[in-house]
Amino acid sequence: MTNALEAKGLWKSYGEKVVLKGIDLCVRQGDIFALLGVNGAGKTTALECIEGLRKYEKGTISVNGKIGIQLQSAALPAHIKGEEALRLFAKWNRKTPDASMLAALGVDAIAHKQYQEMSTGQKRRLHLALALICDPDIVFLDEPTAGLDIEGRISLHKYIRDLKAHGKTIILASHDMAEVESLCNSIAILRDGKIAFAGTVIALTEKIGKHYTIQIRTDQGLETYETDDIGPSLTAMLKSCQEKNAVIQDIRVDRGSLEQHFLKIAKGE
Amino acid sequence: MEGFIYGVILQWKLDLRSRTMLITCYAVPLLFFAVMGGVFSSITPESRETLIQSMTVFAVTMGTLIGLPPSLAEIYRRDVKNAYQANGVPLSLGLVLINISTFAHLLIMSAILYGIAPVLFDAKIPEHPETYFGGLLVLIAVSLSVASIIGLAVKDAANTSMFSILLFLPSVMLSGVMFPSELLPEALAVVGKFFPATWGYKLMTDSGLSLQTLCPLCIIFIIAFILCLTLLKKISTR
Repeated sequence: MTNALEAKGLWKSYGEKVVLKGIDLCVRQGDIFALLGVNGAGKTTALECIEGLRKYEKGTISVNGKIGIQLQSAALPAHIKGEEALRLFAKWNRKTPDASMLAALGVDAIAHKQYQEMSTGQKRRLHLALALICDPDIVFLDEPTAGLDIEGRISLHKYIRDLKAHGKTIILASHDMAEVESLCNSIAILRDGKIAFAGTVIALTEKIGKHYTIQIRTDQGLETYETDDIGPSLTAMLKSCQEKNAVIQDIRVDRGSLEQHFLKIAKGE
Repeated sequence: MEGFIYGVILQWKLDLRSRTMLITCYAVPLLFFAVMGGVFSSITPESRETLIQSMTVFAVTMGTLIGLPPSLAEIYRRDVKNAYQANGVPLSLGLVLINISTFAHLLIMSAILYGIAPVLFDAKIPEHPETYFGGLLVLIAVSLSVASIIGLAVKDAANTSMFSILLFLPSVMLSGVMFPSELLPEALAVVGKFFPATWGYKLMTDSGLSLQTLCPLCIIFIIAFILCLTLLKKISTR
């Protein structure tokens, strides 16, 4: 599979402060990739360099295809209507807005609404539609579901999966680990301007170790066990319950979320 | 080209929806004209000779220096600029579209004044309409270029208004629009020569387009143009 984008030795500083210390990134075509990191790790800077919105001092970036960008901090003039913004950007890119895309994103409903009257979610959908108007091969989404209600979030997730099914590469910046875990098949974690981890979500779990929390509720109370080895531990715990003549009411096994793994890597714990 | 034409039409519509542009390009100049036109023509009847020119210079100065910068500052605010840049729209487009649209609004306002001043206040139609309209076009272009500097250089609305007023007041007071510039103290008359309104008013009241009057306007325009290009470059480079 060919790469949709590749960045090598990307270096960027703001005055004395070095934000990116020669990072390498590689995203395969058709992947949903997430760049993660705690606040100030350099995610936005890295993405803006790759998007061509920010200059960088050293390194190379190769992008294989047309890009569409939905930024988190983007706005339009207060009095522009949804339909007018779409038409302006479409005409400028010599494209005709794809009616099915607009319908899927629910942009039809805000076609005649001025930007200043739109809700956060409506603005976000409009910006996503603007990013997709040029029929890009690679779509950059910065916090795409921030400010969306549950219904909007679910429909947007479905739409992102549809984009992937159509061969688009999605590059995501998100603070929502549940979103990353459910959508992305590859991630990279930035820490102190360097890539602390790059690979799949499964590989991250493997790297950190399979840490399980088992909770058993019996008629004698609640017991919590932490283990790295689920099989023998669970067998031993059940045996112990049997020996104590405890009646099991509920068993809960938590294998650790991406959030917990992310924090370990991102904070260098 | 299709995108550009649509952009011009859209900007025109946005200006009509924006209260700032309507107030500064039409409402205030018309109100000022209604009040001051009556005052001028009744106190000093000879002011009717140049009433159209003085009211037009006021309208152009108001529309450009007070009306244009806030619209421009809105487009070049970081988040709006980001949206344009991210979607492949050149950053200079906003500047060009707003300038074209404001130019058209000010031409309409000037035509209104040209049409109603003789009817309402018995104002004299300029003896040399070609000189008047030539001067008007030059004045609008130069005033827009100066106003663009404020819109591009100043980021927040409060500062934009402050700089706009700082330029607008001396432009109107020292240009000869309110009272003859010959009556001004010498120092203020010299200061007045730095403002496009002074030369624009002179150009529109002259019997022909003289190089001596055009030259300062050209110099102001060139300096403003270079400054705008520099600011635009600075805005686009991050």
